[in-house]
Amino acid sequence: MSALHFYQNRQMELFAAKETKRLTLRQLIFFGRSMNEERLVKSANYVRSELTVRIAHRLRDMQALPYIVVTQDEVAKVYDLYWTAFDKFRSFPPITTMAENIKFCTFVRGLLNEHASVIPALSLGFTFSSPYMPSDQLDSFMSRMLVSRISRRVLAEHHIALTEDFIKGSTKGRPGRGALTRNASTHVGIIQTELSPKASIERCVDLLRKYPSSVIYRDPENPDSKNVPCPRVVVDGHVDTTFAYIREQFEYIIFELLKNALYATSYRHRNETTPPEIRATISTGSEEVQVRISDQGGGLLEPDISSPSDLFSFSATRNMMRMEDDRIEALRKTILSPHGMRATVDEQLERWHERDPENVASTGPLPRLGIGLPMSNIFATYFGGSLRLVSLDGWGTDVHLKLPKLGTKLEGVEV
Amino acid sequence: MFIASSRGSRAFRPALLPTSSPVARRQPASPEVIALLTSYGQQTARPLTLSRLLSFGNPVTQDSILSSASYALSEIPRRLSRRIRSLESLPFIVGTNPHVSRTLDAYRRSFEWLATYPAVRTLRDNADFATQLEHLVHSHANDIPTMAKGFQECYRYMTPGAINEFLDTAIRNRIAVRLIAEQHIALSHALSEYGHQGKHDGVVDMKCSPADMVRACSVIVSEMCEATFGASPEVVIDGHVDSTFAYVPVHLQYVLTELLKNAFRATVEKHWRSHGLSSASDLPPVLVTISPPPRIPGIVRPSYMSIRVRDEGGGVSPHNMARVFSYAFSTAKRSAQHADEDAGGGPYAAQQIGGNAATMEVGAKGDAGLFSEMTGKGIQAGVGTLAGLGYGLPMSRLYARYLGGSLDLFSLDGWGTDAFLKLRCLDEAGDVEI
Repeated sequence: MSALHFYQNRQMELFAAKETKRLTLRQLIFFGRSMNEERLVKSANYVRSELTVRIAHRLRDMQALPYIVVTQDEVAKVYDLYWTAFDKFRSFPPITTMAENIKFCTFVRGLLNEHASVIPALSLGFTFSSPYMPSDQLDSFMSRMLVSRISRRVLAEHHIALTEDFIKGSTKGRPGRGALTRNASTHVGIIQTELSPKASIERCVDLLRKYPSSVIYRDPENPDSKNVPCPRVVVDGHVDTTFAYIREQFEYIIFELLKNALYATSYRHRNETTPPEIRATISTGSEEVQVRISDQGGGLLEPDISSPSDLFSFSATRNMMRMEDDRIEALRKTILSPHGMRATVDEQLERWHERDPENVASTGPLPRLGIGLPMSNIFATYFGGSLRLVSLDGWGTDVHLKLPKLGTKLEGVEV
Repeated sequence: MFIASSRGSRAFRPALLPTSSPVARRQPASPEVIALLTSYGQQTARPLTLSRLLSFGNPVTQDSILSSASYALSEIPRRLSRRIRSLESLPFIVGTNPHVSRTLDAYRRSFEWLATYPAVRTLRDNADFATQLEHLVHSHANDIPTMAKGFQECYRYMTPGAINEFLDTAIRNRIAVRLIAEQHIALSHALSEYGHQGKHDGVVDMKCSPADMVRACSVIVSEMCEATFGASPEVVIDGHVDSTFAYVPVHLQYVLTELLKNAFRATVEKHWRSHGLSSASDLPPVLVTISPPPRIPGIVRPSYMSIRVRDEGGGVSPHNMARVFSYAFSTAKRSAQHADEDAGGGPYAAQQIGGNAATMEVGAKGDAGLFSEMTGKGIQAGVGTLAGLGYGLPMSRLYARYLGGSLDLFSLDGWGTDAFLKLRCLDEAGDVEI
């Protein structure tokens, strides 16, 4: 970053000075219903200008960080990626026809792929930067970065999905992509309008049960031993609930929470033939849909954290486990891998699927990256929901996920 | 009127029930009390720790009991003086409320009695003192319901924030005074009645069993619930049911009773809403999970007993959730006519606040036994009895926090509630300030 860069900043500041136009889930749904070319072109231009502004806000935010933090290798890499993306978006000409829109979609998809390493890079960069920033500032910065990232992906992917749907000449019953979308139901763009938490939970359980060697505890001293039995997951409460949400996000959260519950339960009850069941309770209130996952995995009293909410933190000051060698190593590998990390269920399944079965037997579960819980927390807060960890120390953990039911809440405060 | 010439007649007499006119009770304190209050007001606060309080019982000896008496005699009036000052600082119109002014009178009387009490020099002196102190404690059993009533009538004159803050401080102060007084009373009994020598833990039970306490409280709450609603849910206890920890049983009893009352009532009412009154289907049980602190190497920090009370009573809406820990909020419908019957906080408040001593007070002052009074009012006031004045949760949280613990509520709106209680294990909590 040179003197030239310093004087170029004026251009970016013009965009950073603009307000973002935050949306609600409901607006995304209503806009996506009854598509025509004109509306798609309008959508494309909205995405184009909105993403430019949102990226400019992120650049400004990074520019205000301590110098030593942004000169960190990993953070500098993210800064460069953002600056390049900003330049490209800014110079993309306005879209006037469907053909131009298709070009725009290809361009956006390309950028999304280039940015696949941002989450692990930020995570590692800020773990290393923990000594230079108070942990609350560090986490609120990370939260702004990641909520904004989610929001940009939602806008971009929603627009791409709407375009694809339009080209296929149908906005309903489109067969989905990936392992999770077999029973595609009603959707608008990337939003499921009748998402069933029960069905999602059961889908996640089925997937997790397929990969016991990646999910369930195994005695490292005794690699020949069989896996500890997989605990049962019981779903109760308002099991008939459906609501409108982005399924990929909802299932990522549920998948992460269940993964933690299954591992903790199998570890704590490793010497028992039947581990205690995990209970997922769904409730629908006047404003929220909730899922509470209760396990008997022993709770979250750990020497390296002083409260369960430290597990949501990216700061090594709050969570010493972030400095563990195998975590840092695994994050480094992820940053360099072409797949990066998008924080989805599918990419984890792909990774587990690719593992050499013989190798798996001796290594057990993959090293934990410490991304699942903080990212789940960020996903939950994106449209105004929340995630809370409650530890019944010595017995088990309750995780409370709350998501707004009506889709009328705006995206995160700063995007 | 309480200044007596000989020790024999220095009995503590509680305030007379209000027969005088409101004007009479707006009178300022006597010059003697004012002078005493001033001198106590000039003393600097001394931080007190739980281990200091428990030290008098380890072991109980003639000397230690006399130190305990002098400790109580210096510490209690100092705390009462702070209470009096804060009552005197309330807006004038609030001070004229008969319930508030009755409370102030009672505090002044108790303060004066203690502040002028001669030194306790012999075991015989102490036996007198302990008996009188017990009367004093009992005479204050209805303070909280009385103040509750008073502040309910004063909601126009103070902001909810100011009322909450006042009551929080008042109740914390009261918990401390009772702890100090009851510790001295317990040790005095141990020494005089049983000739106990050696270690005595007084108000702390070193092997308090949460499961036993849950069972005992469930019996009482089931009876109340049956009397009011005609049905009550089962309680299932799981987790480490055999575990024990060091705690003040009356505090645990108060908090568990409140939590179970809430859970029972919510369960029955939810069931009615979904299945109707004549439903024969079973009520979902209330699940209480108990977990003692795990011993994990590398963790040196306060240890807590965790207790989770889980019901399927429909939960609390986000709107109400924000107010659930503030005073004078109750989800039970109240009418003017019921408000009168609830004077003094309702029988449940009187019974529960302050534990056993308050129970005796109700029994002593009432015409009938506790249970018949409870059920009698239960039928008259309907739902009002179980729901009381909406002090249960904020008071429970104060009790939990008082010795370093916490109480949190997690609601699954439409389904049920988890009340989550964490209590310090007091055998390792000598540093807790009281």
